Amino acid sequence: MNPTVSTFPLYRTAWRRIRRRPFQYVLFIIGVALGVAMMVSIDLANGSASRAFALSADTVTGKTTHRIIGGPNGLDESVYVALRNELGYKLSAPVVEGYVGSPELGSQPVRLLGVDPFAEPPFRSYLGGEQGAIGTDLGAFLVEPNSVLLSAEFAAANDLALNDTLTIDFAGQTTPARIIGLIETTDALTERGLSNLIFMDIGSAQQVLDQVGTLSHIDLIVEDDAVLAQISAILPANANIETAAARGNAIQQMTAAFELNLTAMSLLALVVGMFLIYNTVTFSVVQRRPMFGILRCVGVTGGQLATLILAEAAVLGLIGSLLGLGLGVILGQGMVGLVTQTINDLYFVVNVQSVTVPAFTLVKGLVIGVAAALFASLLPAIDGMRTPPNATLRRSTLESKITTLQPWLIAGGIALGVMGALFLWIDLGGLILAFAGIFAILFAAALLTPPTTVVLMRILTPIGNRLLGVLGRMAPRDIIRSLSRTSIAIAALMIAVSVIIGLSIMVGSFRQTVEIWLEQTLRADIYLSPPTTTNASDNGFVSQEVMEAALAWPGVERGVSARSIDIFAPDLAQSIDAFAVSDDVSNGNRPIFWSDGDDATLWDRVLAGEGVIISEPFMVRHSISLPPAPLTLQTPSGPREFPVLAVLYDYTSERGVVWLGKELFSAEWGDDRISDLALFVEPGTDIDAIVTAMQTEFADMQALTITSNEGLRAGSLEVFDRTFAITSALRLLATVVAFIGVLSALMSLQLERARELGVLRATGMTLSQLWRLTFLETGLMGSTAGILAMPVGFILAWILIYVINLRSFGWTLQMYLEPGYFVQAFLIAVVAALLAAIYPSLRLGKTVIASAIRSE
Amino acid sequence: MKKTLLVGLIVGLLVVVVGLWWREQSVSAETPASTLITALSAEADEGYARATEPNNIEFPRDFGAHDDYQTEWWYYTGNLETEDARQFGFQFTIFRRALAPPDPISDIPNPKSDWQTNQIYFAHFTISDIDNEEFYYSDLYSRGAAGLAGAQAEPYRVWIEDWGVTQNGDIITIDAATDDYALTLDLTQTLPPVLHGDGGLSPKSEEPGNASYYYSQVQQLADGTIRLGDETFVVTGKAWKDHEYSTSVLGEGATGWDWLSLQFDDGTALMLFEIRQADGSVEPYSSGSFINADGTVQSLNVTDWDLTVDERWTSPASGATYPVAWSLELPGIDLSIRGGALMDNQELNFANSVYWEGAVQFDGTRESRPTTARGYMEMTGYAEEQ
Repeated sequence: MNPTVSTFPLYRTAWRRIRRRPFQYVLFIIGVALGVAMMVSIDLANGSASRAFALSADTVTGKTTHRIIGGPNGLDESVYVALRNELGYKLSAPVVEGYVGSPELGSQPVRLLGVDPFAEPPFRSYLGGEQGAIGTDLGAFLVEPNSVLLSAEFAAANDLALNDTLTIDFAGQTTPARIIGLIETTDALTERGLSNLIFMDIGSAQQVLDQVGTLSHIDLIVEDDAVLAQISAILPANANIETAAARGNAIQQMTAAFELNLTAMSLLALVVGMFLIYNTVTFSVVQRRPMFGILRCVGVTGGQLATLILAEAAVLGLIGSLLGLGLGVILGQGMVGLVTQTINDLYFVVNVQSVTVPAFTLVKGLVIGVAAALFASLLPAIDGMRTPPNATLRRSTLESKITTLQPWLIAGGIALGVMGALFLWIDLGGLILAFAGIFAILFAAALLTPPTTVVLMRILTPIGNRLLGVLGRMAPRDIIRSLSRTSIAIAALMIAVSVIIGLSIMVGSFRQTVEIWLEQTLRADIYLSPPTTTNASDNGFVSQEVMEAALAWPGVERGVSARSIDIFAPDLAQSIDAFAVSDDVSNGNRPIFWSDGDDATLWDRVLAGEGVIISEPFMVRHSISLPPAPLTLQTPSGPREFPVLAVLYDYTSERGVVWLGKELFSAEWGDDRISDLALFVEPGTDIDAIVTAMQTEFADMQALTITSNEGLRAGSLEVFDRTFAITSALRLLATVVAFIGVLSALMSLQLERARELGVLRATGMTLSQLWRLTFLETGLMGSTAGILAMPVGFILAWILIYVINLRSFGWTLQMYLEPGYFVQAFLIAVVAALLAAIYPSLRLGKTVIASAIRSE
Repeated sequence: MKKTLLVGLIVGLLVVVVGLWWREQSVSAETPASTLITALSAEADEGYARATEPNNIEFPRDFGAHDDYQTEWWYYTGNLETEDARQFGFQFTIFRRALAPPDPISDIPNPKSDWQTNQIYFAHFTISDIDNEEFYYSDLYSRGAAGLAGAQAEPYRVWIEDWGVTQNGDIITIDAATDDYALTLDLTQTLPPVLHGDGGLSPKSEEPGNASYYYSQVQQLADGTIRLGDETFVVTGKAWKDHEYSTSVLGEGATGWDWLSLQFDDGTALMLFEIRQADGSVEPYSSGSFINADGTVQSLNVTDWDLTVDERWTSPASGATYPVAWSLELPGIDLSIRGGALMDNQELNFANSVYWEGAVQFDGTRESRPTTARGYMEMTGYAEEQ
């Protein structure tokens, strides 16, 4: 070929086509845009939440390299005095911190940081030092009880000004606090880092947070291991040094599984999007086959044609991706609230002020969008390149090819399915492989769609004939005849719908499992606890006075107390959540995952101090194998080993919990306080009456939340639903993607048949017959997708429940199937399919038959 | 039509995306803010006790802290030398400052946090390495609570974290260390405490209450070690302690003071201060004490002496110009001496306070016999004057 010949006319033909038939290209763009948007929005929501966390962690950590932490009751403040007075170590700062509520600062829990301004400058610059903002009123900060500092932006965001008074609520105790200074931040990062913090003098903070005599931790800047050893040497047995980085990492790792789950969901959306793109590109190629044939005949090479198709896909993919980015950013803003809510409920308090849009996310979305478009166009492009000129003039070759391909599709589907199953079976501890397994199985299902469709349609042909006559026979045959396109549309719809089914079953089963578990576990009738501002464990205590009064209450049979504590586990190098209980609140009904022997005496042995019980998530999180080795916990007299007597199913905490007997805890840790009290009443007693009476009676003694069994269960499920709001949102998004995708795929399929239908009309088909045929066809496709999605959705749900959830969170769930999930998904498929028939039918109805068949 | 719509949509979205991204990235420049300690100046002094009564000082009770007065300091200075006559000077001062008057009606909840306090403590610690003309100085701040800093009478102890003055039987030990230098010094009393002014009441201006309670312990024998970097020197010498507590000392128009302490080789000692006024005059209430070798005190009035400046030095760090050589005539006790700083640069240049406090030596005659004295000179207010 002469190299000087321009390919411009070739591209002009493409452009002309776009102008004549923009609709299909708009659908192409929508397919890419939706996939990219979903991915970008999840990315943004995840990223913003973890960035907000990292920022506030940095703001709080400052230049800290290490931290001295204490036992369950914090760190004795004398450790700090010894560090300063005996060792003279100046790069140390005492911190007392906790989460408090404040109506003036919105409903979110706020982190209260009690600091000593004299020790702060090397660590955090907000108080004094070079960048201090405390300015004129350090005196008040020290001297005036409960005076606070917060960032000027944080104050402004809540319409607060200097000298305004906040009400600080910690575990039901309210304290007025005057704002005596505003920290002026000039850079956006610091501003965001400070957005959820209030500073108080350590003396006031100890009182407000009920930590008089103790510190939360001592921050250190240590560069030298020798110095670290010197510091270690003066620490009491229950104090430990940990690195600041390790702590931040540990907290961030907690959410890793959750975030990976979300990312995988967004990838699923992209896969659905890719099917749509593939569908669209294949159409545009198939429709232009006659023209491509002519072009090949006039000397255009196969390579040029392939380049044309790919270039088209690249341009459309780019436009779609750009639209997707914009849409993703908007969606992300809405999504971040949901993600944050889940993180707050499950893990830690994070306050996201704004959605960060990192350039990387945008570039990634763009690249993946365009790459997906190119990848989806690759097969049609190769097809366009390879087909000899004369063959391109006949469409039947393509259809016959897919027919000959069928055995390969079946083989490939089975192979992929086996591979997926293998991926899921191999447990390397990570989730990536498990998600690869899910995708393999989904692709396998997609590959198996065409052969299954053929089988289904063949079965339906005689049935349709009998029921609906010639139209009933024609519709399934048409679907088989255009299998290359119909099967892709069906597969795309099937995958989208199966995702909906899978997620619905998973969430539904989860909720059902938790509900049943709550019923089994919460056997007491009345629950007393200090009001919580967060789900953080140490949040105040039930006073001795209240406990005695509650136990002596007429009608109250007995009580079970629990103390929630953080205990450092040296072998795990982190603090764990534990409960010191006076008895089993479930009356022996807690479901047992594993026990060392006699289930009947299990709790008696725990209460006698023979050992501890761990929860299933605890076992999974710390990769504990059965039978569990003894657990080492840090006691005031040094580390001690405790045998693990049992593993219980438990849905309290994703981090996992450890139960130990109250007596054991009191003896080892010298602490008798309790954080929750559960009461059993005598049969026939009016529980609500007691709750109301106690609320009145105890109001003067202590701020307490007193709820009946029923109330607590409802509350727990409310938290559950809030936690899964993000999953519901994703399910909704998947539905929207599926809906629009199916609509566009089927619509273009029908539009493409204009000439064929024109011929039918010319040979005597009435308008109503045309409508019926179109609806029948799309309805059949929708139903096929809906039916195929059911087993696939079930498999997906099975994987999500028994593989993904178990590995990410360590929760064994019972699968509960509800017909509603399947019916709903099926309806989505069929309704989308039927809606897709409306526009083509309308158009075809209006078209003059002659013009429809003119291109002949 | 569709085309324009599509293009418009894409351009619009692009603008939104880029705009959002840009907004996130924009970071403005930092501005420095005020420092921690500016907070400590200029508080109101109502509600505090004032020094008004003579003969109000009692030992050992008054070795400790007086929280109802706004300001208090325990001031140790001294001149030391090694066996081979290498000279050093030191200053170790612990200041106490009340941020608010003691509150008789406290609404502080029970249990009360140990960290709650109105008192802050800070220390200034200097070493003058005379031979090398090196001046080391540093400070330390803490709240006077939780055991981190405080002052007590019996056993006598004033401390901020690991810096402090501790009584151990008859010995008082000063301990202070930074990464670069350190001082450990044992002091032995030779004389009982000396009350300045009128039985310990030392007025600073005409207005009653503009005064301090002020006593000194002079001619204390000192021996210990000084560490400079990795080098440690065994030193002996004499130390001087001032303990002064007051509320609102200076009268209106006062701009600073010059304070001099000298310990003579014949066992006598001299303290005098001049409060400088904005108009260039010296406050008539400036005063001093001459301490005889037996510990008896002779009060001096500003009219009793004549202190003239012979030489000045300008600090390159602060730009302040300080007198560094003087002539002193005290006809009442037949004293005539000349002298000055053992080295010029003994300026403490902190962010929140700048003053000169350094080792001095004077030579001359007393009652026609040659005499020599070492001591310390403190000059404040010069950095503000310029």
